[in-house]
Amino acid sequence: MKLRQRDKDEPVVDVGSFSDIAFLLIIFFILTTTFTKLTGNTMSIPSGSTESTPSEDKQDTITLNGEEITYGETSKSMTLDELRDTLDESAYGERGADERMVILQSSDNVSFELYYQVVMAIRNAEGVLALIDEDDKGDEE
Amino acid sequence: VNIRRKRKPASTIVPIASMGDIAFLLIIFFVLTTTFAKEAKVKLEMATSPDITKLKDSQISVTQDAEGVIRVQGEECEMKDLKQKVQALVAGKDKKVVMLKIDKDLKHSAFKQIFLDLSEVGADIALVGQKEKK
Repeated sequence: MKLRQRDKDEPVVDVGSFSDIAFLLIIFFILTTTFTKLTGNTMSIPSGSTESTPSEDKQDTITLNGEEITYGETSKSMTLDELRDTLDESAYGERGADERMVILQSSDNVSFELYYQVVMAIRNAEGVLALIDEDDKGDEE
Repeated sequence: VNIRRKRKPASTIVPIASMGDIAFLLIIFFVLTTTFAKEAKVKLEMATSPDITKLKDSQISVTQDAEGVIRVQGEECEMKDLKQKVQALVAGKDKKVVMLKIDKDLKHSAFKQIFLDLSEVGADIALVGQKEKK
């Protein structure tokens, strides 16, 4: 007796369109990716207690109160641009390590925007930032 | 009679069978090398200054949004735990750089402790902001 053999269809997965899908994914990622450009400045802030701080006569002091900026021993009030110019003229880059320190004293009502601009100006003038907040100053006195 | 056979014209078919493999390799490469910004969900307005330059990405990030919420590596953190957390992250690293982003409208009373803590840890602070034209 002659038996008919059944034709068995082999299961075939059609992978022909895989490359199209892959390329579509690549195009999607390329178009939707946004690269973050970071801008700013890196700085190190020396830490220490108020007792270990070198004498203040070698250091310049910037005081921020609200929107007001005062600079130096005479607490001369100035604008941000004037402060930038003054810091640039101070040539901190040419000074010794002890004399490059700029003390930044700030009251609680100062916004980060102003604080940031002053810090960046000090950094740009190659000064070394030293932080003092008013509580410390009060304790010191 | 010796008749020369005509040469077959050169094939102009470009083999594209391996294109799919190349595409998948590219996808695998991008998937493995992409790092997502840890603080992507944090919404804050950056401070601006003309005195800034390009900054290299740092592996440690500290952010403080407009409501004063502090996040270390994208996870919320109390101010009292900040120093300890950053200390653990910078331990054993050659470059102790901490990327710091703070909302521009925050007041000094809210962010001053971050600076003091990072300073005590001995970390360099990469202060992130936006470039402003002079």
